[in-house]
Amino acid sequence: MAKGPLNGIRILDLTHVWAGPLATRILADLGADVVKIESPTGRGPRSYGRATPIGGWIGGTPGDDPYNVNAVFVKLQRNKKSVAVDLKTGIGRATFLELVKKADVVMENFSARAMPSLHLDYPVLSGANPRIIYVSMPGYGMDGPYRNRVAFGPSVEPLSGLTNVMGYGPDEPRNTAMALPDPIAALNATSAVVTALRRRQHTGHGALVEMSLHEGAAAFCGPWLIDHQLGETVERLGNRHPNMAPCGIYRCAGKDDWVAIACRDDGDWQAICATIPGSLDTAADLDKRVKTHHTIDQLIETWTRRYSKTEATAILQEANIPAGPVSTTPDMTSDPQSIARNFFVPIERGPTPIPGNPIKMNEISSADWTPCPKLGENNREILSEWLGYSDEKIHELESSGVIVDRPPT
Amino acid sequence: MDRVLEIGGFAAGYCGRLFAHSGYDVVRIESLPAPRGWVSQAASDYYLHAAKRRVETSDPSLIARLAAEADIVIAEAATADSLVALGFNGWQTPVKVSITPFGATGPKRNWQATPSVILAMGGYTNLMGDPDRAPLTLPGHYPEFQSGAFAYTAANACRIAKQKNTIDIGMLEVVMALSQFTTVMWHCAKTIRSRHGNDFWTVVPTNLFRCMDGWAYLNIVPTFWDAFAIFLKRPELLIDQRFKSNDLRSQNRDVLHRIIADTIAHMARSEIEQRAAECRVPVGVVQTLSEVLDDPHLKQREFWHSVTNGRSTIQSPRPAWKIHGDALTELQLTEPESTHG
Repeated sequence: MAKGPLNGIRILDLTHVWAGPLATRILADLGADVVKIESPTGRGPRSYGRATPIGGWIGGTPGDDPYNVNAVFVKLQRNKKSVAVDLKTGIGRATFLELVKKADVVMENFSARAMPSLHLDYPVLSGANPRIIYVSMPGYGMDGPYRNRVAFGPSVEPLSGLTNVMGYGPDEPRNTAMALPDPIAALNATSAVVTALRRRQHTGHGALVEMSLHEGAAAFCGPWLIDHQLGETVERLGNRHPNMAPCGIYRCAGKDDWVAIACRDDGDWQAICATIPGSLDTAADLDKRVKTHHTIDQLIETWTRRYSKTEATAILQEANIPAGPVSTTPDMTSDPQSIARNFFVPIERGPTPIPGNPIKMNEISSADWTPCPKLGENNREILSEWLGYSDEKIHELESSGVIVDRPPT
Repeated sequence: MDRVLEIGGFAAGYCGRLFAHSGYDVVRIESLPAPRGWVSQAASDYYLHAAKRRVETSDPSLIARLAAEADIVIAEAATADSLVALGFNGWQTPVKVSITPFGATGPKRNWQATPSVILAMGGYTNLMGDPDRAPLTLPGHYPEFQSGAFAYTAANACRIAKQKNTIDIGMLEVVMALSQFTTVMWHCAKTIRSRHGNDFWTVVPTNLFRCMDGWAYLNIVPTFWDAFAIFLKRPELLIDQRFKSNDLRSQNRDVLHRIIADTIAHMARSEIEQRAAECRVPVGVVQTLSEVLDDPHLKQREFWHSVTNGRSTIQSPRPAWKIHGDALTELQLTEPESTHG
């Protein structure tokens, strides 16, 4: 089990896809005892191996248990335990409520109507355990006119204001196309959990904590939304910056090789002029640099095209100029900085470096971490340790298919 | 309630914002020149610094005394060495969090960075923008805000455990930790994920389409395909063999996109929203900043916090979570107090 400040905090994790599991992974890395409550088919059917998933298989092949080695799933589940219980059965639901009595936190990111339809909404859970902290993460929240809309990160992003600000130019909006509201929601969820836990330390009370993908993304856009109220013009600037010039992504010598360069102030500008030969105007202030940004970009790119992205970065960083290569995964995992800080963690089956936790502190070490559990791997352990169930009772639950360790055929 | 000392730019400011909005006593040191942000200084102040006390000082002994009185200190610096120069290592605060671009250790600990540099090195930039053009950075303060949220989570976790600790957060690792499937895609499927404009690529159709009065983003994962055909009023798509599965839709992406584009082009955003809600498909229309501020859903859910500086009041987003039963109150934005010791 991971060691950390959240040791002793028990979290029942009903989340799925990205935002929720990422949140619970971060909390598990901090030592929380996270039990993933999974439906028997939550990882796909037993015949899952017919199609290769987006991220491939941990270990390279589907093996005999493809549902346990889907890489996109596995990467989010380290340091957790798995109990596979069918909540749609009366006994499964009752077992879950017994677990709620022993837990501190329940987290889910279903649609707003899913938990009520299982008769497992907050009034029911708090009835079982008044100290429970119930974190609900529906796409648009639990009430309001959009509450029944279907939401995924990419479809929520345009409603936040971000698509209005991001893109190559005024007529070319762009979506991140990487579901940005999800990782934002994940950190909102971890923040919410620790806030509610501290509140409980003071008040002794549990809480219903609610957040939505939509509001998380809109909150991220808060500074632009305030600037707009103050009468400022917020423009879609491509890779430029409203208060830094030059600022851009410049082509380097290799194929699809790019370097990001930013000039924060006049000091950086002097360093750029001294480093990049050509006719850059050392006396140009920010206003002038903004006005001549196109010409400056051309001169910089004439220089960057002579170097690889790593060579250009090294030269610029040597002169204390903010610069960095546009990195691919192989670049990131082989970066000396990542290696020196042991950031990527190869604890899953096969040589699979998975991003670690960016919170570095005493007591937390990936040497203590455990890989993604197999489906239902901890059924017996959790039901026995948390609830004191006998072997006989657990066997009954297994025989009746209420708890499983593999999906149905 | 804990006393929180905050020093630094957007990351520390965001972390302090979360503490301040949760009712903690936050003192912000205004000692360093403000980093260049994406918005006016006034907008930054309203967003980040409401409900904090702000002290203008660069006196190291005063900062050390305040750190000694605090329960938590959040210190953001441009490099690891500038963090040391602040006096961070000598402060005796129970929970100390440092936030730097590359972390407090490692060969690049003193490299210079901006958000665009961190996003580039952290793998995000390579995934955004058009394949035949320069990759596109993300505007705003994502690396800083997410680092601030990690700092908030970690600091509170230590306080829950009544644990003394020093926490080191590097923004590059924050961004890399928040990758979706980029890293496993390479290590397990031997594919380097790349950029495809507005197209999510692996799920078809997932893209931005122009409509009569703007744009709409469709995110049709396979389970929504049938409902999507009804949404589009094109039921014949359901029996079209070219689109029977996500793999086939992927193979026939261009044809499908043309069909969708032709249909969506004749729909207004209001109609798209109404039909998406009726058919329960994940579709979102692009809203302007004015429209986000007037969004009836956000208003009804009391998303906006009033922040006043005594002369004017603006609407600022509340934290993205809400604890039922806790009321929102108007927040005050105060000017920094100047002090010399």
